[in-house]
Formats: sequence, C-alpha cells, structure tokens
Amino acid sequence: MSVLKVGVLSCSGEECLGGTISRLATRKVLEELKFIDTVTLCLPLYLAGGEEERNFAKVFPTISVDGCDKLCAKRSTEKFSGKISGSIDVSKIIGNENALNTKIVRNKDLKDEHRQMIDQVTDEIVKMIGSISPDAYSGKSFHGCGCGSE
Amino acid sequence: MDKKVKVVPCSGIGKVFGLMAREAVLKTVIELCPDKSETVCLAYIVTGDKEVKEKIEGYDCITVDGCPKMCAAKNVTLTGGVVVEEIKVLDTVKEHKGKKFGSPTQLSADGEAVISEIAEKIARKINEIN
Ligand code: SF4
Ligand code: SF4
Repeated sequence: MSVLKVGVLSCSGEECLGGTISRLATRKVLEELKFIDTVTLCLPLYLAGGEEERNFAKVFPTISVDGCDKLCAKRSTEKFSGKISGSIDVSKIIGNENALNTKIVRNKDLKDEHRQMIDQVTDEIVKMIGSISPDAYSGKSFHGCGCGSE
Repeated sequence: MDKKVKVVPCSGIGKVFGLMAREAVLKTVIELCPDKSETVCLAYIVTGDKEVKEKIEGYDCITVDGCPKMCAAKNVTLTGGVVVEEIKVLDTVKEHKGKKFGSPTQLSADGEAVISEIAEKIARKINEIN
C-alpha cells in the first residue's frame, strides 16, 4: 500500500524576509506536521540536478511556498517538474512591506512578530495540504535529493 | 553600472550545511560588506527571467554551496555570472570535526561560529576584488 506524501517546496529567497519566512514555515511543516508525511527538495536542484529531481512534482502532489509575488518556486516547479497542487505567496499573508524587508533576513534577527508570521504561513500550508485528495499521490518512489531532504 | 559583487548561497533545505551557506552569505552582505556586495535570490536565478539575468550576467559572483551538488555555482554559471570563487561549506566544516552545527532550521553556537569564519573568507575575497 502506498502512503500519501506531500511535497512542499520553498523558494528560500535570500534577498528579503519573505524568503526566510517561506523557508522557516516549510521547515516547520516538515518537522511538526503529524497527520501526513511531507517531503522537500532543494529548489536549485531543478537546474543543477538530473531527471530524478525534475520528477519531484510528478511523484508527489506538491505545494510551492514563495516569499514574494515573483513566485519563483511555483514557476520553476511548473516549468521543470509539472503541475503543482497548490501555491502560497507569503507576501499575500504577511503583506508586501514585510515580505520585501531586506534588513531582517537572517534567522538570528527574527523577533516575536516574525515568528508569528512564520506560524501564520505554516497554518496556511497545513490548510492547503489538508485539501489535497489522497488520489493525488502517484505511488512512485523518489530518491532524488542530493542533500537528503526527505 | 552596479559594481557590487553578487554573493549567492545555495540555501539547501535538507541539511544544516545549506543553512550555513545561507547565513554566511547574509552575514557578509548585510553586516560585513554591505557597500561592496549584495545577494540575489538563487530561486529567482533558477527561473531564468530576463531581469535576473541582467543582474548576474557578466558580474563577478561568489557562490557558497552546502554539498557537492554545487547548485549555486552551477546555476550562477548557467545564467552567465562570472564565478570568481566557489566556496564549499564542507571545506570549513572539515576543520571542526566533532562539533554540532545545528539543524536546517536553526544554527547552534558552533554553527554560528563556523559561519562567521566562512563569512570572513567571503569578505576577504570581496575586498580583493573591490
Ligand atoms: S519568490 Fe521572491 S523571495 Fe522567493 S526567490 Fe523569488 S524573488 Fe526571492
Ligand atoms: S548544493 Fe546541496 S545542499 Fe545546496 S541546494 Fe544543492 S543539493 Fe541542496
């Protein structure tokens, strides 16, 4: 019997707070979500990696999490890997001004207000995962991530 | 013309080394060399959009990678960046055997110390160029 697993791909953008929040909310889902298995992949592996990595969204129903409205994770996943099951734009949740903050990007600079933003985005990811049909899982296996993200 | 050196980490999400690459770069561009360097989102580079190509193509770039897949170095090169230095987090990590650096979510105190070392290396290179 195949177990439903959902892929969560974050842009992890380095230029602004939105990217940091996308990354930390994705990590939180991977570490804490109990009702369903989640997996991820380093996004830059789409170009740098091989066929296996590019199959990610064909194997798992996948949700992209982007820090701003450039939607890099969503667009790259659709371009290299196929259709995604849902997409989150962090700037729509925390506001553009917060998402595009270029001063507070490092983990160590985050304050309580930013931790709350991470929780808000985490909730949205979990809600989206909950709406995915169990039929969406391909049942195929995947051994793609070079840095052992699964 | 913008002469700032582009410093691009892989920000790998599965192991602590990707976070170390990310934090070392952010420390460099925000704290150590804000006037001489800047970062560009690697996921944006991966899209190949015209605007991001213009930011990278022909510019001096330093890449910082968390594993031998070298995603930052490869993607920046594919986009036309001039990679003047490829930094591998594992080279510095090897000099700190037995230490625990944290998780892909949070660095430990040892992890913070090692990323400061990597950031100093990056800053030295930036100061050589600029
Ligand atoms: S979606 Fe925005 S924050 Fe994320 S990588 Fe792209 S430009 Fe950077
Ligand atoms: S270089 Fe390794 S750790 Fe970094 S993004 Fe690529 S696969 Fe992940």
